[in-house]
Amino acid sequence: MTSGITRYERGAIAAVALMLVAAGFIFLYAPTDALQGPVQRIFYLHVSAAIAAYGCFAVVLIGGVAYLWKENVAADRLARAGAMVGLVFTTVTLVMGMIWAKPIWGTYWTWDARLTSTLVLWIIYAGYLMIRRLADPGRQAARFAAVVGIFGFIDVPVVHFSVTWWRTQHPGPVVINDALPPQMLIAFFVTMACTLLLAAVMIAIRYRIEVLMDQAAERVAPAPIVAPTEVGSAR
Amino acid sequence: MSVIVAASLTQRFGSDLGLDAVDVDVDAGEHLAVLGDNGAGKTTLLRILATAARPTSGSLEIFGLNATIERRRLRAVIGFVAHAPGLYPALSARENLEFYCTLQGVDRTRVAEVLEMVGLAELAGRPADKLSRGAQQRLAIGRAVLHDPKLLVLDEPDASLDSGGADLLARVMKGRTVVIATHDHALANRLCQRTLMLRHGRVVGIPTRLRVVH
Amino acid sequence: MRSIAVALAVARKDLTSEWRTRELVPALAQFIVLALVIANFGFQIDSHNAPAIAPGVLWMALVFAGLVAFGRAFASEREQSSLEAMLMTPASPAAIFAGKALAAALLLVLCEAVLLPALALFFGVPLSFDVVSAVLLATVGMAVLGCLFAAMVARVRARELLLPLLTLPLWIPFIVFGGQAVQVAMGGSGGTGNTSGLLIDLDILFVVLTSLTARFVLDD
Repeated sequence: MTSGITRYERGAIAAVALMLVAAGFIFLYAPTDALQGPVQRIFYLHVSAAIAAYGCFAVVLIGGVAYLWKENVAADRLARAGAMVGLVFTTVTLVMGMIWAKPIWGTYWTWDARLTSTLVLWIIYAGYLMIRRLADPGRQAARFAAVVGIFGFIDVPVVHFSVTWWRTQHPGPVVINDALPPQMLIAFFVTMACTLLLAAVMIAIRYRIEVLMDQAAERVAPAPIVAPTEVGSAR
Repeated sequence: MSVIVAASLTQRFGSDLGLDAVDVDVDAGEHLAVLGDNGAGKTTLLRILATAARPTSGSLEIFGLNATIERRRLRAVIGFVAHAPGLYPALSARENLEFYCTLQGVDRTRVAEVLEMVGLAELAGRPADKLSRGAQQRLAIGRAVLHDPKLLVLDEPDASLDSGGADLLARVMKGRTVVIATHDHALANRLCQRTLMLRHGRVVGIPTRLRVVH
Repeated sequence: MRSIAVALAVARKDLTSEWRTRELVPALAQFIVLALVIANFGFQIDSHNAPAIAPGVLWMALVFAGLVAFGRAFASEREQSSLEAMLMTPASPAAIFAGKALAAALLLVLCEAVLLPALALFFGVPLSFDVVSAVLLATVGMAVLGCLFAAMVARVRARELLLPLLTLPLWIPFIVFGGQAVQVAMGGSGGTGNTSGLLIDLDILFVVLTSLTARFVLDD
């Protein structure tokens, strides 16, 4: 057992520390929004998480395409890690979105483009992880998941566009988006940077876990003991 | 000339080992019988040799080509009779073969020849699900040689063949390199020059060179 | 081109088999009529709310029928061993896939030939060019997507759950544009905003994508 902190633990500590810094910016540095009140502060993390989620999906896409092209197992592992971390961030985005929606719009949910496409993103991630679990582990799971990842990545902007288009036919609640004053902008960029870093650290840690899981799976159950026979090749 | 050169073929299903470091060598024109009980790994091995499945690890060269990379090219010269025939029940014997002619890029005239060769000329118009198991097996064998393959891989073709099946197999195997899995040692004796015995996914015993008995 | 010949041969084979066994189309047609009857009682549709509700009923019926129809394309065990036999030929997996998607799409179109008149009869949905073209264009895109994931899911456990989970997120844009087209045709709100063009764009996008990825799904 090694004493001392592994680089993963160091990374985790740094990421958490940075998130605390971001929290400081959100709660202490940024001013309270005149129109929406303190609830508006959710926006910083909500949007950052959404960007991180889609960024993770980009990792899933790149890993998947690389796997299909070169059958590179490391690429597949990266995709696996990206999908799990992305699902977490998508969940965070959805929950924060709903918490914010209630006081602002009076309802937890509305079928606007962003909420709908985030929900679709969540469902696609869930489907990705399910197909991984249910297909034959190894090549089949990796291939199928890569295909799901490709279609999913393209589907989210398509859904977003279609719902936006639909909204032009059926106008719904509009997000009040004044231009952000400089202090809010800074708070937002700090939060986004810290969140992306957190996502990167989480992916790195999950990637390492996947490596260890793959290595454990390589160790096959020992063959049954049979009566001694001569073992040789076909010639 | 070597047709099949396989080294250390291993197939894992989850944590089970279907095949464990199996080596196979087959020369041109040779008929190799793969023997072993159910569950020994015969089907697993044959599927890999036919390029229908990929091994977890190990190398496989067929006609000098890497079997993983050149799969499409190799399939054009390999004929495979799988465990399950995969015929279309609603289509007649002839229609089944005509369909495969299109897929294989082979002229339709071949259908009549093959029907004749496998003894189904009279049943050509009957839907495949109305054929007896033996006739279905003949059809599956016929489909496998539609494109005149140089390598034939047969997974227990004798299991449901009716009488005259051994003769049919002998006819079909003539002049081709063949790997055939079977339970029937007498059949193996009659049709093949070499055997390979599998148990629990491993090759066991020293393979015997059989005298081909006509 | 050989690929086209292969695709057409595969489609013809599937359609011939279906014609001779007549399993899928009658079952789907009955399902559609039943769905409409239930919708009538579930939604209490009358002439006032028909333009708002009927498009939804159309697309829901289409989605469920589509899931069944495309799911069947690769479903049975027998289908799996015959799929493998097809892959053992020089025919390209993309061509084989195209043939199966084409056959499944045509079978769904046959059901649409029952669905649309029934909707016209029961709920006053007009059989206009806009409605029919929207449905047909959406069928193309839905078919390639549905069949691709059906092929994937056929080899896997829990396929009844997994097929809708994977397919429906991708069908959403088709339903949005198609639903709007029908709604406008019934005098509902909003303009059509060139739904046909949008549906064609989607079709092209997904036909290309599925053709490129088919071989990873069908073959090892």
